[in-house]
Amino acid sequence: MRLYHGPRFPQSPAIALTNLKLTNTFLLSSKAVESKKMSQVFSNNNNSFIIANTFNYSALDDESKILAWLSPLEPWVRHRDIGAERVDGIGAWLLETEEFRRWHSAPTEDESNHATLFCDGNPGVGKSYIM
Amino acid sequence: MVMLIGCDNSSLVIDKLSDEAGEGDAAVMCFYFDFAARNEQSPVNMLGSLLRQFVSGLKMIPEVIVQDFQKQKTGTGGRGLQVSGIMKMFQGITTTKRTFICVDALDECVPEHRMTILESLRQILQGSPNTRLFMTGRPQVRSEVERRLDGAAAFISIQPTEDGVIRYLYDKLRKDTTPEIMSSTLEAEIMRTIPEMNSETYVEASAREKLP
Repeated sequence: MRLYHGPRFPQSPAIALTNLKLTNTFLLSSKAVESKKMSQVFSNNNNSFIIANTFNYSALDDESKILAWLSPLEPWVRHRDIGAERVDGIGAWLLETEEFRRWHSAPTEDESNHATLFCDGNPGVGKSYIM
Repeated sequence: MVMLIGCDNSSLVIDKLSDEAGEGDAAVMCFYFDFAARNEQSPVNMLGSLLRQFVSGLKMIPEVIVQDFQKQKTGTGGRGLQVSGIMKMFQGITTTKRTFICVDALDECVPEHRMTILESLRQILQGSPNTRLFMTGRPQVRSEVERRLDGAAAFISIQPTEDGVIRYLYDKLRKDTTPEIMSSTLEAEIMRTIPEMNSETYVEASAREKLP
């Protein structure tokens, strides 16, 4: 890991530009924090994180606040837990059905090409695991 | 761009959609209803969660959202978010991306919330022809889905297949933490009798399994 040892604040236009680029790198990666595991993102972006942390913390802070403001819920946690328990291959037949294929295909003028697919089943049949 | 958050484990439909989304420009969002979390899973939090996942995959947070966020900061207390505000933000984002919304266990959403959520999802679908909605739930909510979505839904009945049950049993036996007390006779009996049961019996058997 390479640490940033430069000045705490930009001293020249060139440095300012460099920092702007690095900050942008981090702003992009900060969305990846939501898309991937945080540890993976940070391990891949150590340099940009350290520098952005010095110069533009508020932008990240605002972005996190906006996302948290939209909703405090984290459904991906449940998704991860279900994925860990799922037995591979079960329910694969669903992807081969005509209903799924039609639903999944690109939108057309055909009215029978429904935008919604609802899978119903009794408790315990594994509905959550097919999702 | 795939924007499903933190999902690196195995799933079926979401995996398929995410894999394909990785090749092109599409978005996948998910939500799992849970009756035990019914107080937190209000319409505004649920729809906000979908929006949050969508926004997380964009390069920039859309201006319409930033502006609304700034406005509420100057307000007095609370998040200041309502379903109408979330829907306005959804409508304010123009995207050509194919978008997949996956919602599990619709029956575990309380009826009053379900009505609002289905209506909102209908509006999202109506305003965005590139959006597809995948949902699961018990059969008793099927007619409500049909009614609220103006009949614009296809249905599939999920039933356990013999192959699925056998795969599941093999997996459970393979992960048995006390294999020394399992005899080959009992294992053979399990593999013979359980695939013959119906789904209700699986649930009962599963509940008994958890008893001390």
